Amino acid sequence: MHLMVEMIRSSILSATPVLLAGLGGAYTYYADVFNIAMEGMMLIGAFTAVAGSYSSGSWAVGVLSGIAGGLAAALIFAFFVVSLKTDEFVTGTALNMLALGGTTYSLRQLFHVKGAFMSPAIQSIPRWNIPLVSEIPCLGPILSGHPFIVYIGILLAFFVEWHIFNTRFGLRLRAVGEDAIAVDSVGVSSDRIKAQAIMASGVLCGLAGAYLSLGYVTLFAENMSNGRGWIALAVIILTRGRPMGLLLMSLVFGFFDGLGLSLQGTMIPPQFTQMVPYVVTIVALYFYSREKGTAKGEPEQSKASLS
Amino acid sequence: MKKQLLPAIIGIVVALLAGLIILWAQGYPPLQSYAALFSYSLFSRFAFFSTLDKATPLILTGLSAAVGFGSNCVNLGQPGQFLIGAMAVTAFGIAVDLPAAIMIPLSILVALAAGACWSGIAAGLRRRFNMDEFITTLMLNFIADYFTLYLISGPMLDTKMYSPLTPMTNSGAWLPIWNGFGSAFLVAVAAFAVVSVLWNRSKIGYEWRAMGQNPIFSRTGGCRNDAAYVWAMLLSGALAGLAGGLMIMGGMQHRFVKGIGANYAWDGVMIAIVANNNILATGLYALFFSVLQTGAMGMELETSVPSEFSLVLQAIVVLFVVASRESTRMLMNNIAAEMRMKRARGRDKGMGDGRRASNG
Repeated sequence: MHLMVEMIRSSILSATPVLLAGLGGAYTYYADVFNIAMEGMMLIGAFTAVAGSYSSGSWAVGVLSGIAGGLAAALIFAFFVVSLKTDEFVTGTALNMLALGGTTYSLRQLFHVKGAFMSPAIQSIPRWNIPLVSEIPCLGPILSGHPFIVYIGILLAFFVEWHIFNTRFGLRLRAVGEDAIAVDSVGVSSDRIKAQAIMASGVLCGLAGAYLSLGYVTLFAENMSNGRGWIALAVIILTRGRPMGLLLMSLVFGFFDGLGLSLQGTMIPPQFTQMVPYVVTIVALYFYSREKGTAKGEPEQSKASLS
Repeated sequence: MKKQLLPAIIGIVVALLAGLIILWAQGYPPLQSYAALFSYSLFSRFAFFSTLDKATPLILTGLSAAVGFGSNCVNLGQPGQFLIGAMAVTAFGIAVDLPAAIMIPLSILVALAAGACWSGIAAGLRRRFNMDEFITTLMLNFIADYFTLYLISGPMLDTKMYSPLTPMTNSGAWLPIWNGFGSAFLVAVAAFAVVSVLWNRSKIGYEWRAMGQNPIFSRTGGCRNDAAYVWAMLLSGALAGLAGGLMIMGGMQHRFVKGIGANYAWDGVMIAIVANNNILATGLYALFFSVLQTGAMGMELETSVPSEFSLVLQAIVVLFVVASRESTRMLMNNIAAEMRMKRARGRDKGMGDGRRASNG
């Protein structure tokens, strides 16, 4: 029983960064921007969050600078993709490299360390105990006492669902994704909406990064996003960008991530348990493709739109 | 190629200037740092040979990405294919002991085959189940990473050492080093020659390029897209695998060490991107990137700029070259449109009245 509680608890913890990045990516998904840069935005957010928290001694400044870092990366991406009309895939890949190189470089430049930066001066995000729920056995430890961004993430899922499907901005966003020229023709700038979508994804990826480096753990390590941005991208494709689907799927991924962690110390070598989330992504893609394949097979189309 | 040259030069110059400003803003002597960057990568025999050494994996991973992207296969699995290639060569080199004349060609084949197998998984999933190779290759990277980590810290661990690495391979599989010149570079050059002939002169190369431009058009035009897709993926994986294999066969280490892949594979992806999947340009950018990476060590030595600066510089180069390529193209299109309009207007003035009259 205790193990079960521990596993569900850890799956919520590891689901959150994928959920947050996925919600950010939902905006760009509906605006038809191929946002491969989420990985980089998250990494930059994680770094600036640690830098902010360390230098100011306040977690709030840390979270805000994490968001600012993600937003800055998004602004670069938007500038290139929307203003200069460069290829999204190309620019996103370059931005990911810039994030990896830039954070590694800054790690040495600012903190004079290689690999990882840890310090007691980094203030981590406070954990919230939910008043009544924390008293309930089993459910209490599962739901209560997480870093507060976990709860923000769940609320954001509902907010994004509402924002994309029930507001004027959301309608325009989806219209841009359907047919940008038609949107331009009625006097709404599709470029502006695309840029806004990219910025929204930057903010949420930055928040995901801040959660990683100030909530999930309290340190910054080289390439610490470790493919979560890409898993988020896979989850978006699997759920077709629906925020409620994202919430569910990221919990599934979190569960397998947590499963990997709790299998450590058993007979299975730890390297195999660490593979689990990535294998699960492939398996999930298999089921998704099978379902899509029986509905309507258009392999060339999807490929052409990717690159 | 000629059309690419101008934006490339503009992009590189602007990026180097941006790098200059970054260095200057952080209080380093910018010009001195750049002087060190180039003198430690080009202007001595030893420096030049180490640049070529570094270029070896970059050329191959760059070609791997260029072949993939150029034929519309989004193979982002170079890191995994690189590691699997390196691991296969290590295992082969430890298990088999033959004279170099047999061992070296066999090891090269093993590297090619191992890389192709790893990308072949993604190609198979695509063909059989229509799963996007772009996600499967990315996920296979992590699987390869953890799998090789498992091998070097468990079954293949050199128990005499204290960090996770394998024993050395048998010396038959070592590529000779002549006076500081690593012959692995020659293998990369040979691979480059083969790929550029295949790409530019062969039938399947034509199909790849057609598929890269427009898969629907190429299918309509009678290309065997499905077969060409699988071959492109296999070649792409094989090249990345060879890059990994040469890391073991060349150099001095001859063993699989944790972190052996470094950033070579992603650098290759960037090289192909900045070269716009052109094979010749891929080779040239690979050399340029290796100049930056090799020189960065010298820069750290001389002006104590952290060598990681080369990573930043590379990414800036990519962004600026791509941006300048797009803006030149847009500018050219605008100029062309303007000229066409002017010509049309000129014609209008001459014969417009008559036409209008006849129309009305």
